[in-house]
Amino acid sequence: MKGLLTAFFFSIMNLALVLLIAPLFDGMTRKVTAVVQSRKGPPITQSYMDLMKLLIKEDIEVGDSPVMQRFSALLSFSAILSVALLIPMGTSAPLSGYADSILLIYLLTLAGISILLAGLAAGSTYSLVGMSREMMAMMTLEPLLAIAIIVSSVHADSLRLDAILGEAVYTGSGLLWSRVLILGVVAFALQAFVGRMPFDVTEAETEIMEGPLVEYSGPKLALFKYTRMAKMFLYTALFIGLFVPRIATGYYATDLVVFLAEQAVLVLIVTVIAATHARYRIDQVVRYYAMLFVFALLALLLAVFES
Amino acid sequence: MGSHDILNKIRENYGTSITRADIPADNRLLVFVHPDSLKVLANILFRDLDARYCVGIGMDDRPYSGDFIVVHDFAFDKENVLLSLIVPASASDPRVPCISDTIPAANWSEREMRDLVGITAEGCPNPKRLVLPDGWPEGLHPLRKDISWNYVPESFDDTKTYPFDDPPPGTTVVPFGPFHPTLDEPSHFRLYVEGEFVRGCEYRGFMVHRGIEKLADSVMTYNEIPMLAERICGICGCVHSVTYAQAIEQAAAIKPTPRAEFIRSIMLEIERLHSHALWVGLAAHILGFDTLFMQSFRIREPVMWLAEKITGNRKTYALCLIGGVRWDITAELGAEIKEVLDQIEREWKGVFDAVKGDRNIMARSKGVGVADKKLVKDFSLLGPVARASGMNIDVRRDHPYAAYDKVEFNVITQEGGDVWSRIVVRILEVFESIKIIRQCLEKMPQGPIQAEPAGELPAGRIGTSSVEAPRGEAHHFAVTGEGNRPRRWRVRAPTYQNLQGIPAMIKDQRLADMTISLGSIDPCFSCTDRLEILDLRTGEIRLWSQEELVRSTAKIRRRRS
Repeated sequence: MKGLLTAFFFSIMNLALVLLIAPLFDGMTRKVTAVVQSRKGPPITQSYMDLMKLLIKEDIEVGDSPVMQRFSALLSFSAILSVALLIPMGTSAPLSGYADSILLIYLLTLAGISILLAGLAAGSTYSLVGMSREMMAMMTLEPLLAIAIIVSSVHADSLRLDAILGEAVYTGSGLLWSRVLILGVVAFALQAFVGRMPFDVTEAETEIMEGPLVEYSGPKLALFKYTRMAKMFLYTALFIGLFVPRIATGYYATDLVVFLAEQAVLVLIVTVIAATHARYRIDQVVRYYAMLFVFALLALLLAVFES
Repeated sequence: MGSHDILNKIRENYGTSITRADIPADNRLLVFVHPDSLKVLANILFRDLDARYCVGIGMDDRPYSGDFIVVHDFAFDKENVLLSLIVPASASDPRVPCISDTIPAANWSEREMRDLVGITAEGCPNPKRLVLPDGWPEGLHPLRKDISWNYVPESFDDTKTYPFDDPPPGTTVVPFGPFHPTLDEPSHFRLYVEGEFVRGCEYRGFMVHRGIEKLADSVMTYNEIPMLAERICGICGCVHSVTYAQAIEQAAAIKPTPRAEFIRSIMLEIERLHSHALWVGLAAHILGFDTLFMQSFRIREPVMWLAEKITGNRKTYALCLIGGVRWDITAELGAEIKEVLDQIEREWKGVFDAVKGDRNIMARSKGVGVADKKLVKDFSLLGPVARASGMNIDVRRDHPYAAYDKVEFNVITQEGGDVWSRIVVRILEVFESIKIIRQCLEKMPQGPIQAEPAGELPAGRIGTSSVEAPRGEAHHFAVTGEGNRPRRWRVRAPTYQNLQGIPAMIKDQRLADMTISLGSIDPCFSCTDRLEILDLRTGEIRLWSQEELVRSTAKIRRRRS
């Protein structure tokens, strides 16, 4: 009973963290970008205000199939929120006993698929181009994450999330080369996972006008934007969960602050890279992912021999 | 070699076809020919003598000579001669042989001639409507003298749509425009896309015509037109006002004062500075590199302040008059310009250092939007686009005007012909501009900035003028007239030529490269759109008479005060 209560409490905590902190990170991103670009930039709370403004706007139904469009917006948001329950934030994941890594991969892919749905349902030329790009990117990018998790599960000899996410590069029997390799792969792919420059091909405002999202406005757009912010929060959290050893001080509050600080550093790195790069073309992007994929496979092979 | 030598050369071999030749100046040549020999002679100029095609002009000369007149302007860049090939066309059935089947660069000029003046180029390979809106009735030609500047046709049919060509089999149509975040101005490219690859495109532009040429030859006066010319373009406005003034000065043999020539050069280079900085920023933005975009605009800002200090305005300098300029550059201003130039040079070096080794930008721009030398020649592509393809042309050096023959600078060329080369050319040209302004400030003589009034200008004289705008050569053709205004004034902005090369540049490229390929010519749609005398309100066609306009603006003014 007590376990259930704790799980419930930390579930609420994790959801609240994603909902409340993700826009703050986004605001931070905008502020840092502004500084890099010699601008003043919006206040750090701007992203909250943007979301609120979009949420109270009239919900305009345009595009081919409005029901599908509404569904895809809700699907992307709920899929990404479900992920929040599977990832440790300061303490172990709230639903660690209830779900495994396969579910995590499914949910993250589902968030991507909902973007495909959104583009398909809108039916404009630009959203279809964006959709086909998203599909190409997904097919080459998602396996990287899967392999990263599988490498960990090979070491942990389990598919349970708590077992996988507790591992670090040098735990167990010294330095694990496969994990060092996969750390590199995921680090190089992080920019792509969160859809930031130079990998924002699916939205590419100056080419295909936000791609799948071109027909969206108001609350639906707010949900997609929220999803994007949450993605940044969750992928950085997952990165920390996979590779950064947890410093357990025993106090939840301290652990949480340490965790958020680690995240902030990652967000900062992502932001600076995004601000200093031009967008790659989709073929260049896919080639880059393919190269990372080869390294990821190598890491998997190593992991099998190491365990 | 001057215009005499070129004339002799033509005369030697093809003399029989020339009915008359005038040499108004050592670097101008007017050749009158019979329509039958137009085609042969144009090809000889363009291919054998390697002249560059400038523009074709259709003119309603019925009130004066009884005929229509067609003029094709050519430039001899090595010899510093601008040549006008002049052909009459009968008033009853205005037809001339087409030259665009062998000189592709003349295609738009011939189509525009047909739309606006009603002169048919027989055998034109793509005789579709170019300038007039879709619903405009056939057989009505707004630039004819018997149509007033504020005429609106009763029979305008706004249900009519443009007959686009069928897409090639296996391709889908992706509309690029009329509104697109990277265009900033309305313009429609119908792309035929196969997967991610562009297989072809059709262009439909000219959506924001403002009747500038018609206004000039029916409403404005000589010294008002520079202010109008400036409004052709929001970026290179000063270029157009200088080009216009020079065309009239050349026609009427007026010499601007030496100090005015230096001031013109300085302002033209200031304009180039801000234009190139703007372009580098926009190109970076198209590639998604917003940091370079912002930094480039930050560096550009002091240039705008400088312009404001000199002329009172960030843009639209209201600088030029026939025979001089309106603003002087004082010693204090000169000192300030030097300071700002030092700062820009320093910061722009930083930009160049950052860009020149950037593999990320290279990955997106090398081998993209390639224009080879043949394409440049065939379509008379201009400015940085031509120079990035290894064509060593620059009007400032080849046809010196203002004070450019008194300063030294390099013409920057690259060999790649792709977007990357255009980026490099433009970035390096900024340093040359800085060099030119410094020399101008050094060498500028004292004296008046405006020539003595010349009295009434003689009518019926032809003047041509070329100025190197930031985007390439701007070319104006003017015929002086009665009532203190020109009979005809034809503007050819560089984008008019460069846009014609775009379909070949983007063919078989990826869709993602379309925007930067188009952006790399620094397109200026408002520059190509100059004529429209139509007012559409609430879907109905309605004519605002001049009184109504005056009344409504007066009402607004009253409300404001």
